[in-house]
Amino acid sequence: MTKSDLPAAKAPRRDARGISRRGLLKSGAAAAAASAFPAPMLWAQNIKDITITHLGQSYSTIPEIEAKANEELGFKVDMQTAPDPTTHVNRLLTQPKTIDVTDMPNTNLKYFTGRGVLMPVNVSDYKYWDKTLSLFVNGTYPDGTEASKQGMAPIKAQYWTDETAQDYSPTPTDHLVGVPLYFNADTLGIRPDLIGRPIESWAELLNPEFSGRVALQDGVSIGVADAAMALEATGEITYGDKGNMTREEIDKTIEVLTALKREGHFRSFWTNFDQSVQLMASGEVLLQSMWSPAVTEVRTRGIDCKYNGMKEGYRGWYIMMSAMNHLEGLQRDCAIEYMNWMNSGWAGAFISRQGFYNSVPENVMPFMSENEWGYWYDGKPASEDILNPYGKVMEKAGVSRDGGSIWERMGNIGIWNTVMDEDRYLVRRWQDFIAA
Amino acid sequence: MLSSQTSPSRAAIPPKLASVLQVTPMALVFLLLVIVPLGLIFVVSFLDYNFAQVFPELYLETWVDVLTSDLTLALYLKTFKFLVIVWVITAPLGFAIAYFLAFHLRSTWLRTLLVTAIAIPFWTSGPIRMVSWVPLLGREGVVNQALMGMGITDEPLGWLMYSEFAVLVAYVQMLTMPMIATALNSMAKIPPSVIQAAQDAGASEWQIVRDLIFPLVRPGLAIGTIIVTTAIMGDVVMVKFMGGSQVNTVGMSIITDLNAFMYPPAAAKSILLLVVVLSIVISLLRFADIRKELRS
Amino acid sequence: MSSYTRTSRKRPLSFYLLGGLTALFLVYVYAPMVCLYILSFQGPEGGMSFPMVGWSTHWFRTLFSGEGQGLGDVPNAFQRSIRLAACTAVLTLVISVTAGLAYRRRFPGSGLVFYAAIASMVLPGIFVGFGIALMFNLLGWQVSWFTSGIGAQLTWTLPFGLLIMFIVLGRFRSSYEEAAIDLGASASQRFRWVILPIILPGVIGIAMAGLTSSYEETARTSLNVGTGNTMPMEVMGLLNAASTPVLFAIGTLTTLISFSLIILSLVVMTHLARRRSMRTNA
Repeated sequence: MTKSDLPAAKAPRRDARGISRRGLLKSGAAAAAASAFPAPMLWAQNIKDITITHLGQSYSTIPEIEAKANEELGFKVDMQTAPDPTTHVNRLLTQPKTIDVTDMPNTNLKYFTGRGVLMPVNVSDYKYWDKTLSLFVNGTYPDGTEASKQGMAPIKAQYWTDETAQDYSPTPTDHLVGVPLYFNADTLGIRPDLIGRPIESWAELLNPEFSGRVALQDGVSIGVADAAMALEATGEITYGDKGNMTREEIDKTIEVLTALKREGHFRSFWTNFDQSVQLMASGEVLLQSMWSPAVTEVRTRGIDCKYNGMKEGYRGWYIMMSAMNHLEGLQRDCAIEYMNWMNSGWAGAFISRQGFYNSVPENVMPFMSENEWGYWYDGKPASEDILNPYGKVMEKAGVSRDGGSIWERMGNIGIWNTVMDEDRYLVRRWQDFIAA
Repeated sequence: MLSSQTSPSRAAIPPKLASVLQVTPMALVFLLLVIVPLGLIFVVSFLDYNFAQVFPELYLETWVDVLTSDLTLALYLKTFKFLVIVWVITAPLGFAIAYFLAFHLRSTWLRTLLVTAIAIPFWTSGPIRMVSWVPLLGREGVVNQALMGMGITDEPLGWLMYSEFAVLVAYVQMLTMPMIATALNSMAKIPPSVIQAAQDAGASEWQIVRDLIFPLVRPGLAIGTIIVTTAIMGDVVMVKFMGGSQVNTVGMSIITDLNAFMYPPAAAKSILLLVVVLSIVISLLRFADIRKELRS
Repeated sequence: MSSYTRTSRKRPLSFYLLGGLTALFLVYVYAPMVCLYILSFQGPEGGMSFPMVGWSTHWFRTLFSGEGQGLGDVPNAFQRSIRLAACTAVLTLVISVTAGLAYRRRFPGSGLVFYAAIASMVLPGIFVGFGIALMFNLLGWQVSWFTSGIGAQLTWTLPFGLLIMFIVLGRFRSSYEEAAIDLGASASQRFRWVILPIILPGVIGIAMAGLTSSYEETARTSLNVGTGNTMPMEVMGLLNAASTPVLFAIGTLTTLISFSLIILSLVVMTHLARRRSMRTNA
């Protein structure tokens, strides 16, 4: 398990691979033609025996999307669900050759520097880079202002410095780490019926009024980010960058959290979607960090649950799709074709109906009704019932989305999900916290 | 399957060699898939690390921290506490239920049915079994509803779920079964004539249990204890779910490290855990050597 | 074995006390299970906790149709798990029984293998799994369900198999076997006609334990089965994406299937016992 044992840094990619690929598909226009028009006969013949294995987690390996991909692409797509985030990363690191493409939170990317596991995607191979939101292309909002860089902002691991794919470049290059898939702004889930007053600040998470009735997501990447939002909001701690704390800041944070835990302030730390829904729906907790689809799930059960933004901003996250470095020839072309397909609209619309945003909204728009687009992206009141991707009514006509339009929500990011430079120290101190 | 398939003579293969041959397949599996990875784990525990990478440089801080920190002490105290409480409940409970099944039930059919009934819940996937505690013990669960309905409490009890209590409830539910099974198996081997003789000599039921049955069931209970010990010392799933991730044990701590891809501290903690559990098992075998029982 | 109560006419007080204790224990074991069974018939609008929002078989239908939120690949995962569990159970049975027989004698290395078994039970599963996957990676072997997958599961099932053999063979009266030797029986004859019939229930127990623990295992298996999830991995995946009573439907079905399996093995055992007694009578 030394550095050289794990799938280690490979020598720079062989040129031959790139050439064979270009010989077949590239030549600029042909690539575009492959999706805009029925693919050339030769292509269709050659790819029919190819299988692209996509490893993801259950939020992205959705059977409906797999079926649609298999219907529209001439090759087979096989989605594999990793049971948990740890297995996901461990499989990528210990057996990359069993996988062709993967999607994962960009917070994982710290584990892939210098590993040679992921394949750089050339900007010219990805069809929609010029339509992709500037948030990912250069880290700015549509109005040109710079987005928050606290935590693992997308721009921090979007580009490789060069084609050897050893380290990330903070400024644009031709080599993408992956294709941005979807993203969202998370906030606190609230039970307004049990609280009876508006909740507008992260500080409420630490309010003694809710002692024993709040929950955090377990773990250091999200739980600590949420706690830091709250601690900064109460004014108890001032951080340089709460998404990348110093050791002193970590010590202080753990100290305060430990005192709260000893008083029984936290009901639970949840580890999966189901637990967060259970905690909220049963009234175990009144206030907790939550995912958007989990809030929706609580609401479809007829229980009131708010998900409005806090004045300190949202916690943003971002999922990217990457290809594995072993891909060659046709297999590689198909993997890239699949990544392009994922952002060509249909899959993006499917995911958007779960409350996430796609990185190429332009492509998604034609696949959603005006009502759906208005509700999910523009923050307008629904003109008729909003259905979830499985046809279940999740919101009645007249309701509008908590927090408003895409940029009202995404434009106000206080922190991104994070893996800190002092991760090793943080994990060690987190253990003390849990043991307290 | 025994030593000499072809030769009818017993002397063809020396008994010791026969045993060695018989144990070889199992030894090979353990050598290749446990001892070799264990060696890797041992080496890794001395190396420097960061972000899912392990560097080939000697780094002793991991071991210093594991062997001297308050955290380690707290983790072992918490885990031992669980172990002692669970053992004190499951061993007598398992013994009592096994005794009832073996000596009080007259119908073999009914006994089989009850043993089956006890075993069946364990055929359901762990995560599902765990989730099913929530509708029972949760704030709005059946137990709280019943307690409030009967006027015993005014408001729901929070400590029923996501607490150390909940962890213990799940442990006892899960680990009484191996105690019953091992004790029952030992009891089944006691010849009825022996008990008959004791009864004829005027021994009371309690005397028979204490002086006759208990000593004979001891090896069975020892094996049950080994299973309970290893299950609790190595558990992460139940303590994580039932404790709402707020209870830290030795196993939890190892998993937290592994979830953050920090292999060396997880390795050092695993090796310490192994040493501790092996010491427990060795001292247990002084009390009842299950291997000696096999040799006549 | 229940003879000494048979002789007494009246049930002793301990019968009622222990009977009550056993009944209470069953209530305790089944309370969450019953919640699970009931909730699997939740109406289409219902969630994973009480109250019931109507009654339906909606979640079973969702499970079989394979369509719905967060529902992956349950039928295939089930198939994979069963295939894996069957192979693991057979191997566990053969390897544990042979190894257990070895322990009837003193032999060099017996302590080593025994403590390796204990170590295998104690080491955190995901670490063993990671170690095996890493070893395969270093050796350049591809992980797949029938090599590393079964291997990883054996590290979990074999220790239990060995412990069960210890229980089964404990106080096994060697006089039977010695009598057979005196009668000139060969080793294979002795195994077939003397040892096997006595240890048979225990052997079936090992197979069942192997089957169950293989079906349940994730920590060691997840990195070593290659492509395609097993059932518990699929369930964990489900918990990460959705919160619907489909999970409870899976639980109810599992109980039904295991119940049928147990009944089946009981029938087989009764049949075997009858055949044996007929032979002895003849």
